[in-house]
Amino acid sequence: MTLTGNLSELVKFRELLLAFTDKEIKIRYKQTLLGFLWAILQPAALTLIFSIVFGVFLKVSFSTIPYPVFAYSALLPWSFLSSALSFGSLSVVNNSSLVTKVYFPREIMPLSSIAAAFFDFIVAGLIFILMFFIFKVPIGANIAYLLIIIPSLLALTIGISLILAAINVLYRDVRFVLPIFLQVFMYLTPIIYSVEQIPQKYRVYVLLNPAAGLVESFRDVTVLNRSPQMVPLAYSIAMSFVILILGYAYFKKKEKVFADVI
Amino acid sequence: MKKELQTGQIEFINIAKSYRTSKGKYGLLRDIIGEKFSGLSSAKSKNQEKFYALRNISFTVNPGECLGIIGNNGAGKSTILKLISKITYPEKGLVKARGRIGAFIELGAGLHHELTGKENIYLYGAILGMSKAEIKKQYRDIVRFAGIGKFLDVPIKKYSSGMYSRLGFSVCAFSDPDILLVDEVLAVGDIDFQKRCLEKMHSFAGRKTIVFVSHNLDAIKSICSRVIFIDGGEIVKIGRPNDVIKEYVRRSSKSRKN
Repeated sequence: MTLTGNLSELVKFRELLLAFTDKEIKIRYKQTLLGFLWAILQPAALTLIFSIVFGVFLKVSFSTIPYPVFAYSALLPWSFLSSALSFGSLSVVNNSSLVTKVYFPREIMPLSSIAAAFFDFIVAGLIFILMFFIFKVPIGANIAYLLIIIPSLLALTIGISLILAAINVLYRDVRFVLPIFLQVFMYLTPIIYSVEQIPQKYRVYVLLNPAAGLVESFRDVTVLNRSPQMVPLAYSIAMSFVILILGYAYFKKKEKVFADVI
Repeated sequence: MKKELQTGQIEFINIAKSYRTSKGKYGLLRDIIGEKFSGLSSAKSKNQEKFYALRNISFTVNPGECLGIIGNNGAGKSTILKLISKITYPEKGLVKARGRIGAFIELGAGLHHELTGKENIYLYGAILGMSKAEIKKQYRDIVRFAGIGKFLDVPIKKYSSGMYSRLGFSVCAFSDPDILLVDEVLAVGDIDFQKRCLEKMHSFAGRKTIVFVSHNLDAIKSICSRVIFIDGGEIVKIGRPNDVIKEYVRRSSKSRKN
C-alpha cells in the first residue's frame, strides 16, 4: 500500500487509536496507590537525585538558575522520550494476542503507548509551570518555540519507537538492549550538563544526536528564556522528521509478517 | 479486466500460504549456518522446513451467503479466516474482501483483564471498527445479549470464561459487520448461550456474509448454505452442506480404520 493509503487507513481507525490510548492511560496506574502522581514522581525523583549528586556533591552549577530547575527542564522532555520508547517498542509484542486475531493498522499500538506517555508529559508539565512561579523564573516570548520543538520531539519518538517495535517482533533482543540503549542515550543528551559545558571539539558529535538539540532548545526557550541555537535546532527538527518517515516505512514493510512470526 | 466486488463478497484466487516449521529466516543464527553446511541434504531439509497451510485455494463467497468450513485440526481452516481479515497475507494468489469484517475468532482477544466490562465493550467495539457513537447506540442490546448486566463495573479478570466469551461475541454480533467470521465460538459457553449464538447467526444469515468454522456439524448444517471441506491445506470438496459433510464423515471413518 502507498503512504497515502496507509495514512487514510490510519485516519479510518482514529477512534481505535483514541480507545487504545484511553486504555493505556487507565491500565498504567491500575492497582497503584499513587495513581497519576507517578507521572510527576518519575521525573521529580530523577531531578532530586541529580540535584543532590550533581548540584550538591559535585557542584555542577549553571549560571542563573537553580540546579533543580535546570535538571527538570531537560528531564521533562527526556522522561517523555524514554517512557514512550520503552512502552512503544514493546507494544506490538505485548499485544500479540491481538496481532494474531484482529486486523487493524498495527502502528496504532506504538502510537497509543506514545500518546499515553504524552499524557504523562502534560501532567508533569503542569509541575514545570509551577516551578516557574516557585523559583521566580521569568517567562519570555521564546517559549513559542515549543510549538515546533514538541512536535519534533513527538516525531522523533514515534520514528524510533516504530523501528524498535518492528524489530522486537522479529528479534526479542530489543527488550534487553533497550535499557542499555536508554542509559547511553540519556548520557549523550544534555540533561545533567549543558551543551556549553562540552569541550568545543566534541560538541558537534554530541549534537549529531537529534534529541540533543531538542532537549537543549527546550531548556533554552523555557527556563533560560533565550532563543535556541538555530543550527542545531534546525538539524534536530529535520532529522526527527526524517526518522519518523523512515521508521513508518520500515514498520509498514515488516508489518505483514507480524502475525506469522510473533 | 478488473471487477469490483460487491459489499460482503469474498474472493480467493489461487491462494498458497506456507509457514516455516524450523525457524529459518527469523529464527536462530545456528539454523542459518547449519543450512549452509548441511550440503547434500539441503534439498531435503528445505522441504521439511516449509509447511503448506494452504495451497491452491480458490473460492468465492457471495453477499448474504453462509459458508461453512470443515476439516480436521490443522487442515488450514483458521488460516483462511486470518487471510480474509488481513491478519496474515498470502504467499501466492490474491485475497479480496469488501465491507466491514467482524471477526469473532477466539474468545477474549482484545479484551483487557484490568478493565471493567463496560470499558471493555467500548474497547472491543473500537477494535472491531465501531465508532464510539455506534457503540453507545448498541450498548444496551450488547449488555442484554451478553447477560452481564450486574457485572458491568467489575474488572473482567474476575469474570468466568463463559462471561468472557459472551461479552466478546455480543460486541461482535452488534458491530454490524458486512462479513462475520466465526471460529469455533460454540465450543465455549453453556447450552443456553450456544443457542442464542446460533439464533443470532441465523438472524444474520441471508443479510450478511458469514464464514463459519466449526467441528459442530449439526450447527454447520443448520446455518450454512454451502460448505468447504479442506484437508492438508487443499479443498477436498465444496458444495451443498449435506453432500460435503457426508464426504467428510466418510473420509474420517475410513482413516480411522486404517
